[in-house]
Amino acid sequence: MTEIIVVTSGKGGVGKTTTSASMACGLARRGKRVAVIDFDIGLRNLDLIMGCERRVVYDFVNVINGDCTLKQALIKDKRIETLYVLAASQTRDKDALTEEGVRKVLDELIADGFDYILCDSPAGIEKGAHLAMYFADRAVVVVNPEVSSVRDSDRILGLLSSKTHRSANGNGGVKEHLLLTRYNPRRVANGEMMSVGDIKEILGLDVIGVVPESPDVLAASNAGVPVILNDDSTAAEAYSDAVARLLGEELPLRFLEEPKRGFFARMFGG
Amino acid sequence: MTTQRAEAAVAPAIDIRFGQVGLIQVLIWTTDPGAILDELTGRVATAPKFFQRTAVALDVGPLGREPSVEEMRGVMEAVRRAGMCPIGLASGPATAQALSQPLDLPLLPPFREFHPPAEAHGRTGARRVEPVAVELEPEGAAAQVHTHPVRSGQRTYARGRDLVVTAMVGAGAEVIADGCVHVYGALRGRAVAGARGDTSARVFCQEFHAELVSIAGVFRVFETLPPELAGKPVQAWLDGDVLRFERLGV
Repeated sequence: MTEIIVVTSGKGGVGKTTTSASMACGLARRGKRVAVIDFDIGLRNLDLIMGCERRVVYDFVNVINGDCTLKQALIKDKRIETLYVLAASQTRDKDALTEEGVRKVLDELIADGFDYILCDSPAGIEKGAHLAMYFADRAVVVVNPEVSSVRDSDRILGLLSSKTHRSANGNGGVKEHLLLTRYNPRRVANGEMMSVGDIKEILGLDVIGVVPESPDVLAASNAGVPVILNDDSTAAEAYSDAVARLLGEELPLRFLEEPKRGFFARMFGG
Repeated sequence: MTTQRAEAAVAPAIDIRFGQVGLIQVLIWTTDPGAILDELTGRVATAPKFFQRTAVALDVGPLGREPSVEEMRGVMEAVRRAGMCPIGLASGPATAQALSQPLDLPLLPPFREFHPPAEAHGRTGARRVEPVAVELEPEGAAAQVHTHPVRSGQRTYARGRDLVVTAMVGAGAEVIADGCVHVYGALRGRAVAGARGDTSARVFCQEFHAELVSIAGVFRVFETLPPELAGKPVQAWLDGDVLRFERLGV
């Protein structure tokens, strides 16, 4: 059984691509066969975060247009055996995507026996975002702890429950999960940021993970190594937990409190 | 080329929307053009800005009989001479249907149904039309129940009946009913009850954070929530022309 998971948010810059890359790595590291697809046609980013930008020959639009086979376009990850990337086209725009085209590619991946297909959605609610979510079985909605991101996520959740293949065919709808990123416990404590509880209450959904704000995320993006692969990072641990919860494990949420600083750190700053 | 097509898609030539506009109705008690003109000019004189060039719908229901086309032409002429513009027939009574074609006036769905039998109307009686509750629907029309959250940007409308939402209503969402609106959860968006003019409709919610509440066209926007209502179970109703709010269960 293949599961199609869309990573979406409505708002831009909240961490969709970072999340797609890390969750894809996390699932693949657990032995699942994973394909991660960049739906952001014209603003190709996933390949950079995954560190395979120099190996992109054919892209998603090429496959849809029949310029190449899916096998030719799938980029095999160098770190994890079972992970594949399908890059977006940088020279085209979102109109290059069609419902039939996307369906064809997904069907082929399903026939190929992938366990998970992650769809990295572009920001917004237009065609690219619509097609990224349309065939999804599950959705990971990435939220930052601030009001505009929460509002946009609410909008996206509305679309997930009305404008998807599952909702249209009455298959029980898309299963929705919230993933909080850029969570800063100190600023939450100071009342500058919304808390997990606030966001859960407003959106009425359970949280699959809380990723703390961390400089490791930017460093990982620049290095082209998904942050989940950085063993020393709290963000990596949080993403690993989220992957485990996605697979049905029950784990308590971590990193909701400010880390206790040691005696010396308190004495000498740092 | 594709780029042109894309641009065309961005700027459509027209938009089709469903919306409600306020419309004055002229209830016809007699087809005597002289009497109509006298009375209308009197009324128009009291508020000339309001009535001049105002679109009106003619409601022949109160006549209690089918007027002839010629009679109606006389009525329309009188209404026009008083400064108003008849644009349609209120579609309540069956007689209106027969007149629609020959008079070339569209039938407009009723806003507030008011068709008392003609004999009950003594010519000496008051003619002011009291707002009367719309009869909601044929009996047995249960409320429309919505069990999922109504998210930002979504809109739910219960035509001719109550709307019950057993989940939350997000900011920027709209819940609309011709009857009452019940929200068993947080109401953060807009609630519109009595969308077709039922002044007895109410809005109920379990947790009040609404952006806007409207009943029968009377609305209030909440830029800041009154502290005694914020987050509390609240009901709203129409008291005359005033929209009132009250905590439930205190």
